[in-house]
Amino acid sequence: MIVLPPLVWALLALFCPLLAAIFIGLFARYSGRFSSWLSLAAVLTSLGAAITLLRAQLARPERFLEETVRWLPQGGETLAELGIRLDGTSITMLVVVTAVATLVQVFSLEYMQEESSHAFGRYFGYHSLFVFSMNLLVLAPNLLQLFLGWELVGLTSYLLIGFYWRKPSAARAAVKAFWMTKLADMGLVLGLVVLFTHSGGFSWTATLTPEVATWVSGLLFLAVMGKSAQFPLHVWLPDAMEGPTPVSALLHAATMVAAGVYLIVRTFPLFEQAPDTLTVMTYLGAFTALFAAVIAVVQTDIKKVLAYSTCSQLGYMIAALGAGSVMAGYFHLTTHACFKALLFLGAGAVIHAVHSNELSKMGGLSRSMKLTTVTFVIGALALAGVPGLAGFFSKDLILETLYEKRLWVPLGLLLAAAGLTAFYMGRVVLLAFFGEPRSRAAEHAHDGDAAMSAPLIALAVATVGVGYAASRFAALIGASYAFHVGPVGVLGTALGLGGLALAYMVYGSGAVRLESFALLAPVGRLARSGGVDRAWQYGFRRIALGIAAAVGFIDRYVIDGFMNFLGWGTIVLARRLRRLQTGNVSDYVLAVVVGTIALVAWGLYG
Amino acid sequence: MPLTSVLLLSMALFCIGVFGVLSRRNAIGILLGVELMANAVNINLVAFSRFQGGVVGQVFAVFAIALTVAEVVVGLALVILLYRSRKDVRVDEANALSG
Repeated sequence: MIVLPPLVWALLALFCPLLAAIFIGLFARYSGRFSSWLSLAAVLTSLGAAITLLRAQLARPERFLEETVRWLPQGGETLAELGIRLDGTSITMLVVVTAVATLVQVFSLEYMQEESSHAFGRYFGYHSLFVFSMNLLVLAPNLLQLFLGWELVGLTSYLLIGFYWRKPSAARAAVKAFWMTKLADMGLVLGLVVLFTHSGGFSWTATLTPEVATWVSGLLFLAVMGKSAQFPLHVWLPDAMEGPTPVSALLHAATMVAAGVYLIVRTFPLFEQAPDTLTVMTYLGAFTALFAAVIAVVQTDIKKVLAYSTCSQLGYMIAALGAGSVMAGYFHLTTHACFKALLFLGAGAVIHAVHSNELSKMGGLSRSMKLTTVTFVIGALALAGVPGLAGFFSKDLILETLYEKRLWVPLGLLLAAAGLTAFYMGRVVLLAFFGEPRSRAAEHAHDGDAAMSAPLIALAVATVGVGYAASRFAALIGASYAFHVGPVGVLGTALGLGGLALAYMVYGSGAVRLESFALLAPVGRLARSGGVDRAWQYGFRRIALGIAAAVGFIDRYVIDGFMNFLGWGTIVLARRLRRLQTGNVSDYVLAVVVGTIALVAWGLYG
Repeated sequence: MPLTSVLLLSMALFCIGVFGVLSRRNAIGILLGVELMANAVNINLVAFSRFQGGVVGQVFAVFAIALTVAEVVVGLALVILLYRSRKDVRVDEANALSG
């Protein structure tokens, strides 16, 4: 055990990935193997540092450390500070990020091996940059640095979604994700401006008047809606599945989309001062949870199911935070990171074997892909809230919180979502892993090698185990936790098991035929229609492009028009004036004579 | 003979020179016109010198004549160059600087 001050560990965790990213970007990216080892070494260092910090923090949970350096000095004053804040909240997130990133990078070694050496190096360069950006965000001591990390993860998200940039759909998805999240990020920028104007700094512990607090928290929440894919800004996340599957596991399930939730956890002192924003959060989160779960049921692409499921689970977290329980929301973030990363990597293993995302090309994989099946089922059961697995504890806690606060409507929405979650996960498991193989590739599928299996096993272990760490987790973030069986928890679990049973009856045993859901057909059509997507498209075409057209008109005809008029006038005038230059000497002499006479006349009589 | 008569003579000479410069197309004709103008000036110098006393004006006129000779040398050299390049000394043909 090396003994170093916590600050050194934190700096190691932060800067090793950055150095790796810079080195890969400048020198090593044409050598894919070398890049991947470099990136892996950096993220392993980060993980080691994070775990060391976590162990120290567990011994003294209430300790916190903040080291900052002046940034943007203005005269004698300091406009902002950059630095590192180490406390239970940031260290927990640091461990989650680096651990999932490590496992995903190991998984990628095999998953991406068919890429060219150049693409392989680029992929790992982006990954290193992502880990740095995320750590910068997580360790931020103030909102300004958090904003820097926030935008950097947005950039890496764009780069990784568009990794297969030769595919037009991937390029479009990347631009769409960037556009949607930037739109939401305007909220973060404006929130920072309002906060700075009223408190003179970027600290989240500032005390604000109720009105200002509502503004700041509302604007921050707008950014969260974009990053954490809350209705109606969720439309980019399903499209983001165009990226490589390990990227979806890391960025678009476990860590980056959770940055929005982390932002609220981190700035909860601000949110606490604005009860109105909290109410909106609760209702919007609960609505998103149910809305996305409904859509997930009708998806035919395994990654899309998981993507909508991620929206839905983020809705749970937001609802819990809105109800005032940091512990419930943050703990669900942690457990979700484990089992959703597991599910995505499992889906990645399946896609790697079957070469298709479509559930209709799978089936019967449990015969040939035993390890993947077992781990995927563990993840699915955890997501469905089966007692004993990670998702059960955190989801139970969220439901209990809403029950205690007597928020009946959001509670009802979340309970319905819980049943649906179990149903669609049961559907995915049964369609992909059981029944008869529905394609030749599915018949000949096989488990991945060690690099793909080890992360699955590690995440499955975490998915089973992390639920039992709830009270230690609570101690780390200064909350308390005690497991107890309440009526709403029982109801939620029953709904989950009921959903699984229903899925089995529909897709497993065939006891219930799909046709018996004819009453629900309009809902299914609505869920498939992508109405929100179209509304955004309409808004984009009409409003954004309309404004662009107006600005373009002014630029082209008013500003350019004036400049063109000047140019045109000069040319016309010059055409006239050039006639004076005849090249004939007598004309010049005549001009001199006339000029002289005129000057003399002016001198005499003028 | 009063001063006015001499000045009228020089003015007439100057105007003839100007007319020559403006109307001739031949470069040598133009040079001749220029010479007339220069000599009109010399007459003025001498005339004022005679009517006001002193010799400064006359000395100046001698200088001016010498200078005019030098100027004619340059002018004729230009005419020769023009002839060599265009086989012609008509200045209205040499309008390459026309805009």
